[in-house]
Amino acid sequence: MISAVDLVADIADALAAVLPEQRWFSGKGRPIHAIIPLRATDLAGADPRLVHAVVEVDQGELPRDRYQFLFGVRSDVPENLGHAWVAASGDQGVYQAENDVELAVLLLDLMARGTEVQGLRFATEPGVTLDTEQRSRPVGAEQSNTSLVYGQTYILKLFRKVAAGRNRDLEMHRALAAVGCQHIAAPLGSIEGPLGTAGEADTAAFGMLTEYLRNVADGWAMATASVRDLLAESLLIEGAPGSVEHADPADVGGDFASEAYRLGHVVATVHTDLATALGSSPAPAGYLDMLADGMHRRLDGVLEQVPELSPHSDELRAAFDAVRGFEGPLPVQQVHGDLHLGQVLRSVTGWVLIDFEGEPMVPLADRDAPASPLRDVAAMLRSLDYAANHLPLGETDSEQRAAVALAWSTRNQDAFCDGYAQAAPDPRKQAVLLRAFELDKALYEVAYEHGNRPLWLPIPLAAIARLTAAHP
Amino acid sequence: MSSADLRTEPNPDLEGVPHTGEAVLSDGYLVEPQADDFDHAKAAPTDPHWYKRAVFYEVLVRAFHDHDGNGTGDLIGLTRKLDYLEWLGIDCLWLPPFYASPLRDGGYDISDFRAVLPEFGTVEDFVELLNEAHKRGIRVITDLVMNHTSDQHPWFQESRRDPQGPYGGFYVWSDKDTGYPEARVIFVDTETSNWTYDPVRCQFYWHRFFSHQPDLNYDNPEVGEAMLDVLRFWLDLGIDGFRLDAVPYLFEEEGTNCENLPRTHGFLKRCRKVVDDEYPDRVLLAEANQWPADVVEYFGDPAVGGDEAHMAFHFPLMPRIFMAVRRESRFPISEILAQTPAIPSGAQWGIFLRNHDELTLEMVTDEERDYMYSEYVKDPRMRANIGIRRRLAPLLDNDRNQLELFTALLLSLPGSPVLYYGDEIGMGDNIWLGDRDAVRTPMQWTPDRNAGFSCCDPGRIYLPVIMDPVYGYQAINVEAQSASTQSLLNWTRRMIQVRREHPAFGLGDFNELGSSNPSVLAYRRHHVGNHDTDDDLVICINNLSRFPQPVELDLSEYAGGVPVELTGGVRFPPIGELPYLLTLPGHGFYWFQIVLPDIGRDA
Ligand SMILES: Nc1ncnc2c1ncn2[C@@H]1O[C@H](COP(=O)(O)OP(=O)(O)OP(=O)(O)O)[C@@H](O)[C@H]1O
Repeated sequence: MISAVDLVADIADALAAVLPEQRWFSGKGRPIHAIIPLRATDLAGADPRLVHAVVEVDQGELPRDRYQFLFGVRSDVPENLGHAWVAASGDQGVYQAENDVELAVLLLDLMARGTEVQGLRFATEPGVTLDTEQRSRPVGAEQSNTSLVYGQTYILKLFRKVAAGRNRDLEMHRALAAVGCQHIAAPLGSIEGPLGTAGEADTAAFGMLTEYLRNVADGWAMATASVRDLLAESLLIEGAPGSVEHADPADVGGDFASEAYRLGHVVATVHTDLATALGSSPAPAGYLDMLADGMHRRLDGVLEQVPELSPHSDELRAAFDAVRGFEGPLPVQQVHGDLHLGQVLRSVTGWVLIDFEGEPMVPLADRDAPASPLRDVAAMLRSLDYAANHLPLGETDSEQRAAVALAWSTRNQDAFCDGYAQAAPDPRKQAVLLRAFELDKALYEVAYEHGNRPLWLPIPLAAIARLTAAHP
Repeated sequence: MSSADLRTEPNPDLEGVPHTGEAVLSDGYLVEPQADDFDHAKAAPTDPHWYKRAVFYEVLVRAFHDHDGNGTGDLIGLTRKLDYLEWLGIDCLWLPPFYASPLRDGGYDISDFRAVLPEFGTVEDFVELLNEAHKRGIRVITDLVMNHTSDQHPWFQESRRDPQGPYGGFYVWSDKDTGYPEARVIFVDTETSNWTYDPVRCQFYWHRFFSHQPDLNYDNPEVGEAMLDVLRFWLDLGIDGFRLDAVPYLFEEEGTNCENLPRTHGFLKRCRKVVDDEYPDRVLLAEANQWPADVVEYFGDPAVGGDEAHMAFHFPLMPRIFMAVRRESRFPISEILAQTPAIPSGAQWGIFLRNHDELTLEMVTDEERDYMYSEYVKDPRMRANIGIRRRLAPLLDNDRNQLELFTALLLSLPGSPVLYYGDEIGMGDNIWLGDRDAVRTPMQWTPDRNAGFSCCDPGRIYLPVIMDPVYGYQAINVEAQSASTQSLLNWTRRMIQVRREHPAFGLGDFNELGSSNPSVLAYRRHHVGNHDTDDDLVICINNLSRFPQPVELDLSEYAGGVPVELTGGVRFPPIGELPYLLTLPGHGFYWFQIVLPDIGRDA
């Protein structure tokens, strides 16, 4: 049998062709010069065979990104795995193994048994026993990693882009579980080990197993269902042409405010738990200037690309400069870092926060930098505004629709803050900072939409116009 | 007033009818009618778990059919309409109290447990109703108020008159009005205290409800015996069970809130033992308007399959069905079902959408145990819509799609469904009658005078029939709807038939199937039969939104199986490994049987 290392070397060229098609590949659009295998380990079997591998992708720039793979090897690759095909090796076929029910369950076995294979450690969290009689299936959702659900019991997130060093998602889950936080999916197991970059201190996390929450819906689906209801009610209201009359979001059945309130309460509770687990301290000297400088820098960049923004630039700059003079207590701590309605799941007992990987645009090493919890709050307020505005998109321009979106957004942002204030200081009491964070986030959105979804650009632009017009 | 005057205080209208207190024995005991004074009804076919599969129908005797033309429905009138109920597919009638009563609390103020309210008929009429119902395979249960009586009951009259007599200790008397301070006042709108002074006995008496409803004193063993004898009286006549009213309050104990006390459960176990030992096949349904986690206590010991009530109402589910559809979100329902504990093997929930009494939200739940609930009460919308007393059709704007969705939920969620008379034809209400009577108007049988309810002068009817253009009897009545295949009545009948064909609905377990679409509520009902062929696997998918919705369900467990739609028998594409995709119209629903390949059995 060909060794795992040779096998991966064998298919490296084919991988270069497959890689750009993967949802989670972040080097899209740039040529791949070479695929350099870093490690390859046999996990189980001969036919079918399960191989774990890490490869480095040379796209001409440094540092190079590294990706994790699970390969299945079979003489006879069943039709339903055809879409995961990578290459032939000898008289066997090599394919990505996540969809192979027979192989995927082995990962759970390895974790349950606490196996170590060539430094790759499959482990359970302290005190956890796993039930391995579970059928696996991949999660269908668009995502930057690959998740496998086992039965209705566990979910294993396999990190695709891997890096040496601590894994924020895993660490945050562990820290929160240690202080008894009720609003996360309990961490149950992990896959960790050397990345294969000889020499460096190169332990990386490859997988995190958590409790699978049955019967959940994410915040985005919940919120947009409510917006849809308000719009439908509003369209029933007879008004003169061009009227901005609409139903009161407090009066319609689909009102989301009680959910937004509970969500705010949960986010504040998680913030408090993070502070308990990992500490909180007054912001260091110079923090405010650093914040303000960063915001200005972002503005500089976005202004170059999006000239529509220039009418607001003076107000934006003033809002960012106001941060420098902020007075009052300003604790910094670990936060979620990438909070939005898609990262919160509504279960039958309440809201749960997932995916603590941190801000995607920030280099891994910097994601741990303590930040103000207001950052998460601002991010969620922006997400609520997105939810309010997303349905009217593409429809003929209507002031009524804009008014509906504004009414929904205002009501639910307030409810979120009310709920937050039940468990932590009221974010609205730090208006200068909150507003600057919101504007900064909106700038990020402007840049993103400009580059990717120009149809959506009006959402953050309108938010900036509104936030800069109403001075606190 | 002399004690002699009190003795002669008339028991309402019982002239010429056997009733309690017609004579008094030398030791002071009242003579009470005995079951052997009457014929006994022939029993319904035996079936120990009938109540788990049954479809119940709540019918007010007063409102169903007036036989003698005096303007008020009666037992004979109801008996005449049993063919209709059999046709509809009803398994059991639930009659609110029809006992002798001064009617200050809708008949729940009973002045004689062993007599029928004369305007409804006689005990003989009731036995006739039982006989005719049993012939058609329909059972009959009625309310029994265990906790208190009317102050007109001869027991109370004796008790206040003669503290040393045999009834002196039948009620809870005290020289002071300070006992049991932790017990809340339930009817805060009308009562200020649970104690009321009686000028005859010159003592205070205890009452958890209205001051004209003194609580029986269960500390006195004779009270327990007397009430067990009341149970036996009706069971001997052939009744199929009781809905036991206000059970949590039977006993009092200093230092407690006097609810759900262990001795109260102890007494229910005695009632159950009487039923099990002497009257198999009969049921006790507890009315404990409490949080499900507390209500399950009233099923008794799970180790023996339950040894208190066979059934209990699941109160919080009803408002949450309304909330879920309003919110277009399954979570109000999902949450309450997730918080509902498992029940003993011999127990069953009773579930309903509407009944004769609107429930106040305060009575639904224990706020301390359910933070979720208190959150929802803050929504003014829910208060406005759930606190008022209306019928199903007007609550749903007479929207046929929603009426069907709600009925489908009622017939498929875990528990035995209880329909409220008239809702099967989408009857309306009359809010001008005041909230109590709004939903108690005469059943609408035909487009003729008085809706075919009575041949009396319209002015004599106990409540006017509904006459508005939308819900009036000329538009909405049984005759017209039974003639139309598209009517709500025929639709409801068909759904009851489908339900009857599938043991999964009554006997199956319940598992919610999650999906990423919060507006879709999907669940599996699975009855594991004794043989593979008895296995019944049903999947119900409900769109709580007014808009069409897609849903992807993880049915991979049944890969290879074929969903067969239950009302039309249409086979849907087979289930594979990938999520099963369905689209539902606004407020649409599907019931599927999953036919597994290895069973190879068609629906
Ligand atoms: N514990 C859980 N229980 C149930 N579903 C979960 C759980 N964790 C994640 N999911 C589902 O899996 C999806 C992906 O999860 P997650 O966000 O952690 O992965 P990701 O690869 O980082 O995704 P993204 O790139 O979108 O941030 C979520 O949108 C959610 O629907």
